[in-house]
Amino acid sequence: MIDEKREKFIIPIGPQHPALKEPGHFEFTVDGEIVTAASVRLGYAHRGIEKATESRNWTQNMYLLERICGICSHIHALAYCLGVEKLAGVSAPPRAQAIRVIVAELERIHSHLMWLGVAAHEAGFDTLFMYSWRDREALMDVLESLTGNRVNYSANLIGGVKFDISTDQRDTILRALETLEERSKHYLSIVTSDMVFLRRTRGIGTTSAAQAEKIGLVGPTARASGVARDVRVDAPYAAYVDFPVKLVLHTVGDLESRFVVRINELFESYRLIREILDHMPEGEITARIPRRIKEGETISRVEAPRGELFYFIKSNGSDMPERIKVRTPTMCNMASVPVLGIGQQLADIPMILAGIDPCFSCNDRTTVIHQGEDGDVWTWERLRQHGIDFYRGQP
Amino acid sequence: MRMGAMFTDVIRALFQRPATRQYPFERTASPDRLRGKLNWDAEKCTGCSLCVKDCPAQALEVFMVDKANKRVVLRYHLDRCTYCAQCVVSCRQSALTMAHDEWELADTDKKLFTITCGDDADVQRLADLAPKGVNEQT
Repeated sequence: MIDEKREKFIIPIGPQHPALKEPGHFEFTVDGEIVTAASVRLGYAHRGIEKATESRNWTQNMYLLERICGICSHIHALAYCLGVEKLAGVSAPPRAQAIRVIVAELERIHSHLMWLGVAAHEAGFDTLFMYSWRDREALMDVLESLTGNRVNYSANLIGGVKFDISTDQRDTILRALETLEERSKHYLSIVTSDMVFLRRTRGIGTTSAAQAEKIGLVGPTARASGVARDVRVDAPYAAYVDFPVKLVLHTVGDLESRFVVRINELFESYRLIREILDHMPEGEITARIPRRIKEGETISRVEAPRGELFYFIKSNGSDMPERIKVRTPTMCNMASVPVLGIGQQLADIPMILAGIDPCFSCNDRTTVIHQGEDGDVWTWERLRQHGIDFYRGQP
Repeated sequence: MRMGAMFTDVIRALFQRPATRQYPFERTASPDRLRGKLNWDAEKCTGCSLCVKDCPAQALEVFMVDKANKRVVLRYHLDRCTYCAQCVVSCRQSALTMAHDEWELADTDKKLFTITCGDDADVQRLADLAPKGVNEQT
């Protein structure tokens, strides 16, 4: 006879489009409508980019790394360029750093507005989704006229940027910001006052500051729980040294506060871009950089729209890197989904997942598959032998 | 707390023009900085191949068909190009530029994506130099 009390009901979600249009597999054990256990399996979008960087030169790698993420492409290239410049002992001119920050902040605005739409869509609030994306289009036009592309801007060069900002473009940016600021205020009032929407966000997936610290959350997800963590403030890079940003914090830690933090960050970005445009440093926009980078290793940290983005770069003195390691913010934030999901309604899970602003493709660079209870740890020797055997078997 | 916070937006939108455009019937001018099809100036090119070295997509090939007279032929693979403009930046002679108005480059014939640019005589010389059939494949 089946013991009904001990039987578990597991709902598998994904890997095809689990709430979002990216691959990831989730298993939720449910008791009625309430989730009692959850697990995440990632790695479906693993592309071997880190390995590919080892067979391309420093310049080519910038474009490869830019394509790790379609939404935050500029920040990847920026983290890489800052790291390589540090290794080479060259720093980009102040005007180039200012332009880099302007593009990074424009990218943050577009990313946050996009998230606002996606998260609203997950909550079933498609009106907000449609209108926020319509307004985001104004920003995409600005990015296109400024950099020459809507998505992979390719604004960076190792040692500077590709283009300058003219007076006309400055006016275009300011005009777009004016409209966006007004709209953002409107959206902030909607997400904090619409009764139906608040039932999906207020008090759902609440993360305390202690919990956020323990899981290791980063970016706006951590700041919504009152954890003061922002690389732009903690370790300013590029033009953030001269143009400091104000930390945006909220203390509640539920989904509503994640909306509030991200929209308030938009206002901070608008302010910062205006300030930089008003006090643009004069001078060159590129510095000369050698084709071969000095031997050494370095780390580079930047604040991507989703949180801390980390690069480790090692050079052996040739024109190609020896090793590049990337850790994206989604990797850190993803751990919160199985933890926060427990005890919630199954219907709230997509919102909790969308609440961290996940980006699966950014995230998938290592796959660890646990076999058995204790997992399976491979020694370096065993991994090396596996590699030799694998390639020996190839035609 | 209120109900239907976006109701006014929806009503207002009824009396506004649609935000979308009826492309391809309605076109807007592309921005000046848009990175479109690559253009090459044979007179300026010295055949240094810096563009080939830096291209992240292996979209360029440079052939020196006559070293003494510095005759160069460039083969451009439109289908591999990621339109990053690194070659334009790398070129010290400013021989490469990207057209901002040529961006509708899709086609059903794959052969059209491999463009061999240069003087007609030089292109012919390249074809003679290479073994038969190899040119079309690379």
